[in-house]
Amino acid sequence: MVSGRLIPRGYLFTVLGIAVGMAGLVALGGMAERITRFIEGGDRFVLGQISVAGQGLGMGAGFTGGGLLPRGKLEEIRGVPGVAGIQPQVMLPLNPVTSQFLTLTQELILGLDLSVPMPNRHYRELPVRAGRFLRSGDRRQAVVGADFAAARSLGPGSRLVLDGQDFVVVGVLERTLTAPDRFVIVSIEAARDLWLAKDPLLRQVFGAGASLSREDLNTGAAVGWVASEDPDAVARRIAQRVAGVNITIPSEVSRLLRNSTAFFSALLVGIGTLGLLIGALSLANTVTAALFERIRDFGIKRALGATDLQLLAEVLGESLVVSLAGGGAGIALALALGWGIHGWVAPQGQQLFLFSPRLLAGAILFSLILGALAAAHATFRIARVPPAEAIRRGS
Amino acid sequence: MIRAIGLAKSFSTGGGAPLAVLKGLDLEVKPGEYLAVTGPSGSGKSTLLNLVGLLDGADSGEIWFGDERVSSAGRRRQSLIRGRQVGFIFQAFCLIASLTALENVALAARYVGGDRTEARRRAQALMERLGVAHRTRHYPAQLSGGEQQRVAFCRAVLNDPPVILADEPTGNLDEDHARVIREELRTRVRERGTTVLLVTHHPEAFGEADRVLSLVDGRLAEP
Repeated sequence: MVSGRLIPRGYLFTVLGIAVGMAGLVALGGMAERITRFIEGGDRFVLGQISVAGQGLGMGAGFTGGGLLPRGKLEEIRGVPGVAGIQPQVMLPLNPVTSQFLTLTQELILGLDLSVPMPNRHYRELPVRAGRFLRSGDRRQAVVGADFAAARSLGPGSRLVLDGQDFVVVGVLERTLTAPDRFVIVSIEAARDLWLAKDPLLRQVFGAGASLSREDLNTGAAVGWVASEDPDAVARRIAQRVAGVNITIPSEVSRLLRNSTAFFSALLVGIGTLGLLIGALSLANTVTAALFERIRDFGIKRALGATDLQLLAEVLGESLVVSLAGGGAGIALALALGWGIHGWVAPQGQQLFLFSPRLLAGAILFSLILGALAAAHATFRIARVPPAEAIRRGS
Repeated sequence: MIRAIGLAKSFSTGGGAPLAVLKGLDLEVKPGEYLAVTGPSGSGKSTLLNLVGLLDGADSGEIWFGDERVSSAGRRRQSLIRGRQVGFIFQAFCLIASLTALENVALAARYVGGDRTEARRRAQALMERLGVAHRTRHYPAQLSGGEQQRVAFCRAVLNDPPVILADEPTGNLDEDHARVIREELRTRVRERGTTVLLVTHHPEAFGEADRVLSLVDGRLAEP
């Protein structure tokens, strides 16, 4: 009998017990969601375009990992049947010292040819949270990723110095929880200037009068395809017809990306399983223990004529209220924990948790289902005890 | 009419030989009769009451309520019989700690399909009659022993059951409170024809009873 109380009397510690278990589950789930978003975001990006790079060992150049991709090669690619668009790019590590440690947290400079649209089918333009994206003609303007901006307290109008060159931040990207969060995006002309400034060998080659122009200074290109074409087939066609380039087959690179993130996927499964196990045991144990503590009450109620079904309905009702309260409190606790930790790590451009709506809804649903199952199990066990014995045990 | 035929019940003693408490006990209680069963502690009085009230199962034997053999009825049927035909009064009161006095009394109607508002009205009226109306909003822990037993009595009679089974109902009460309970039981028998089966080892209760039986060595006998 709830008798109008928000939480049935005597259930406070049960609610707290469930809340602690649920907070652990939601916090672990938040970390898992964060990793999932990163993997899914990367996968979506590589499946949206064919990435091409020059052959050779260029500066840490992200996914493309190549050397120079001269203008002539770009023209050859443009002529391959099925190609719908091509955007030259320059990708450089912000800090060359760390470029050999290509990690998920590396900060990169991305130079885009702003005179052509982005060919990536899933990212026609990168979403901007504040300010604007780059326009054709921008030269000393930069758009920065959310983590990059947070780590340096940048916003629209901020000054940004890259290798001694001044830039004005005109936009900050929406947080994507993927690689662009750590990007500085500039025009390709500006990126070429930075590349020359960073790479003494390249400067020497240019100074020696090599037959290179600035338009040849590309580390890669994003290639789009005609809607009716299979992107993998277009990529293979480019590989057959254009010599001296590295081509990524979208589906293969997706597979490679997933393989390279297999550790995180395994970690994700492990975290999820552990979280569910901890949450399930905590909740089931707490509900069962709380019900068995009241075995005398059940004995009395059966003496008053309660049937098994009436007791079950009563217990289920109470259990759902308690599980909901515990689940809600657990979510609040996890959010508070995540908020506290985020305040600590955000200045370093990190985000540990992603409390997505599906995670929170799943946590509530999980607590309700498990609470109901635990209550039903405990009720059936208690119902097997004769009322006289139940009254005696609880006295 | 309540009849018990050949009731036997034993309890395990933790590895030793089972302790036989009731050994083929026979009992017959007429409608409207006030029967007191006496006997020393451990003689099986409470066990007898639990078996008759369907709170526990016998090892063997039969229990009849009128022409229905209730001891072999299904779980649901036994629950209905407990709710509609039997009112229990326990020595330890057995109130639910998380409910107020009024909620405890009204609880008796909850499982027999009683109207909740009507149940609360009747509960209030009974509590006024027993002198505990000022305690309706109090929890059992806030009541004295005498008040708790009066609340428990109200709960036992709320559905106006034809049978009341009382297990040492005055065992934890002082004489004044004990007398109130005894008089109420007697009144129910006299005015409503309620059948009362009371077990006690307090001789004061015998005076109220129509008949007294003694439980000795697992069987009933005239004292």
